[in-house]
Amino acid sequence: MAIKDESTVAPAVAVASRSLSQKRRGLGRRLWPYLLALGPGIIAANAGNDAGGIATYASAGASYGYLFLWVMVVITVCLIVVQELCARLGAITGKGFSDLVRENFSLRMTAFILMSVVIANLGLIVSEFLGIAAAAELFGISRFIAVPVAAVLVWLLITRGSYGRVEKIFLALTLVFFAYVGAAFLAHPDWHAALRGTVIPTVRWTPSYIELLIALIGTTITPYMQLYIQSSVIERGVTADELRYTRFDVIAGALFSDLISGFIIIATAATLFPRGIAINTAADAAQALQPIAGQYAQALFGVGLLGASLLAAGVLPLSTTYVLSEALGFERGVSRSWREAPIFLGLFTVFTALGALVALLPNLPIIPVLLGVQVLNGLLLPIELFAILSLVNNRELMGQYVTGGLYKGFAWSIAVVVSLLSLTLIIITILGWFGVNFSS
Amino acid sequence: MLFLAQLLDHPVQGKTGEAIGKLDDLIVCIEGETYPVVTGMVVRDRRRRVFVPASHLASLSGVLRLNSSIVDMTPFRRRNDEVMLAKDVLDHQIIDITGRRIVRVNDVQLALIGTGYHVVGVDVSPQALLRRLGPERFADRVMGRQIIEWSEVQYLASAAPVQLKVSYDRLSELNPVDLARIVDSLSFRESAEIVAALDDETAAETLEEVSDARVADLLEGMTQERAADILEEMEPGAAADALEDLDDTVAAQLLDKMEPEDAADVQALLAYDEDSVGRIMTPDFVQVPFGTLVGEAVRLIQSLAEVPDPLLSVYVTATDDPQTLLGSVRLRNLILASATTPIADVMDPDVPTVHPDDRAVSAARVLAEYNLLAIPVLDDAEHLIGIVTVDDALAVLLPDIWQRRGSRSFG
Repeated sequence: MAIKDESTVAPAVAVASRSLSQKRRGLGRRLWPYLLALGPGIIAANAGNDAGGIATYASAGASYGYLFLWVMVVITVCLIVVQELCARLGAITGKGFSDLVRENFSLRMTAFILMSVVIANLGLIVSEFLGIAAAAELFGISRFIAVPVAAVLVWLLITRGSYGRVEKIFLALTLVFFAYVGAAFLAHPDWHAALRGTVIPTVRWTPSYIELLIALIGTTITPYMQLYIQSSVIERGVTADELRYTRFDVIAGALFSDLISGFIIIATAATLFPRGIAINTAADAAQALQPIAGQYAQALFGVGLLGASLLAAGVLPLSTTYVLSEALGFERGVSRSWREAPIFLGLFTVFTALGALVALLPNLPIIPVLLGVQVLNGLLLPIELFAILSLVNNRELMGQYVTGGLYKGFAWSIAVVVSLLSLTLIIITILGWFGVNFSS
Repeated sequence: MLFLAQLLDHPVQGKTGEAIGKLDDLIVCIEGETYPVVTGMVVRDRRRRVFVPASHLASLSGVLRLNSSIVDMTPFRRRNDEVMLAKDVLDHQIIDITGRRIVRVNDVQLALIGTGYHVVGVDVSPQALLRRLGPERFADRVMGRQIIEWSEVQYLASAAPVQLKVSYDRLSELNPVDLARIVDSLSFRESAEIVAALDDETAAETLEEVSDARVADLLEGMTQERAADILEEMEPGAAADALEDLDDTVAAQLLDKMEPEDAADVQALLAYDEDSVGRIMTPDFVQVPFGTLVGEAVRLIQSLAEVPDPLLSVYVTATDDPQTLLGSVRLRNLILASATTPIADVMDPDVPTVHPDDRAVSAARVLAEYNLLAIPVLDDAEHLIGIVTVDDALAVLLPDIWQRRGSRSFG
């Protein structure tokens, strides 16, 4: 019987899919490849909007109002450039970042670069579990229940489940962040001030400003995102001729995700900044949603935070494990599944457990730690940027696709500026220990 | 035992012990001998890198000493057919043939055989990394090596940025499923290199097991003649899946270049939806008319030019209409029955069937429910057009496999 039922349904499905492919032919061959290429860039850029990202943007708006909006414009351009370089690396060499680093740098350099990526990722894993804890507490569930459950759940999903399906569910959850666009509008911001903040650069030379600036850069241009875009470009089999479509994807993704980030800043700038409320807990950030969703604001925020954090909490340990094990040569025997590969599974388990454990430390202040992790990412970013630039300018590797002229200069200046900012923060912090005070 | 990592960056001395520079790299000729011979070295003196032929080398072990103090100072240039051990082998991936896996070279073992130094093996142990990472004086304290003999590895020419002649004989020791896993987890350039080295039949069997997207890339990357040859050898279903992932015009060109008969098989399958029974069924099955005796049926199978593999059942069709299915005989029952038994006596007349537009999953479910090894496919006119075997169905039921795609998604 079961067969009969389905055979009556099947033709309709078949017809539908055929007419779709005909439409594809009719609608002009120009546009389709661009739309079909959408994906990795958007996902990668949105990964910046995870638990730590939300905290950082919300904090920027709450503490400095619209002052940081122009920074987002600059960061967006930088993000596009950096993501494009990585997509290009992936498309031309067909290799992932850790492979390229291992094959083209000395072993000690490789260890240094990959350790910085691993440390940055470890911080992010902690921050994702903190996001889970914060979301759970919004629903009145203790973090001591939520975090272990989430860790086990993530472990089971990743080791036994299908990533494709899981990712779809979580990505759907992150759509909740669209609520911030609405929230920003309903918060009745001073659009004039917002526009001024977007176009007129304003800098405050205080440690907390620079720290936040680096955190913004760190969360928007996350090393993990670069690894992700590069490997997904490889996975999709993007070739040199198809790069222009991927470029479109990268630009669309960066614009989309940074627009959302911008609205988060506007939302908190309009609601929390005038009242002088600095963000200390996830609930503070949830208040930014109050105008739109009222009593549901917290639930909405919690669900979004939970979705994004769970996804990243699953993907980050896995990604980190791959980076480390491939570079070190713990390649899994091809005849065995990775579940049977002890070192690989061991690393994955350790990363997950470590993240969950640190997140459970009593009295851990959530938002400062989330911000701290983004600062750490920002500080480590230059190392990765210089590695990417050096690879992308390697003629033996890239052939005619090495970067040239203005673009090359621009890419290098991004790396230099980010490094200088990181250095400034380190110097200011150290001077701070000796009592030198920069705050105005 | 002599290892590359112990030699690199060490001072090179002239005949009388004067400093010439530091060892930058060793050059080997990879083709020809089982254990590649060291043909020369690159010596670095501040920013200048010069080539010193192996004939000038007095000793590698202990102190790096030359048998002459005169060195040609022309800057070193790379030449075809020369592999640099530190640059192109160390830290690169090679295939461990016996282990059927991809490994990364953490160190290279050298040995003096006769008059020359040869590469005899690669060290893939994590300890080798530790030795290279830590300060030199601690290197001796790290114990343990995991050495794979050079005769047991396959070097990939795409690791070096020059033209190389490399023998791929060793790949023939791997079966297509292992090859497919290797092809799937290497980068495009390397996997294209491997597929290019396989004969059409092995390439086809390998590509059948490789992920669809990778197959499409590989087919696009080779000449259309070669792609058509491989497609001809592939299972029609797998070939159809591969062609569907290609650009429409390229797919049409490839179909055009294939033998008309093979192309027709593939085109017939392309008419069906990707997840339908029509796509996973095979048109290769054995059918006999109703009146046949068991002995005649067995002889018929033996006389076939190409016997379907796997051969699980024989299908009995009406005498006047070879497309109308009357029943099936399991191969087991056919062999157990005496030669003179009419086929009708061993035939199972009550066979479940599926339609080519049915979901592939539902065919798998029927196979499982009825404990069948194969299920006939009947079209709208109730004509027998193919069968779905348990093998085909299994592939449908298995979920997306992480371990194969995972590394490229996250590495």
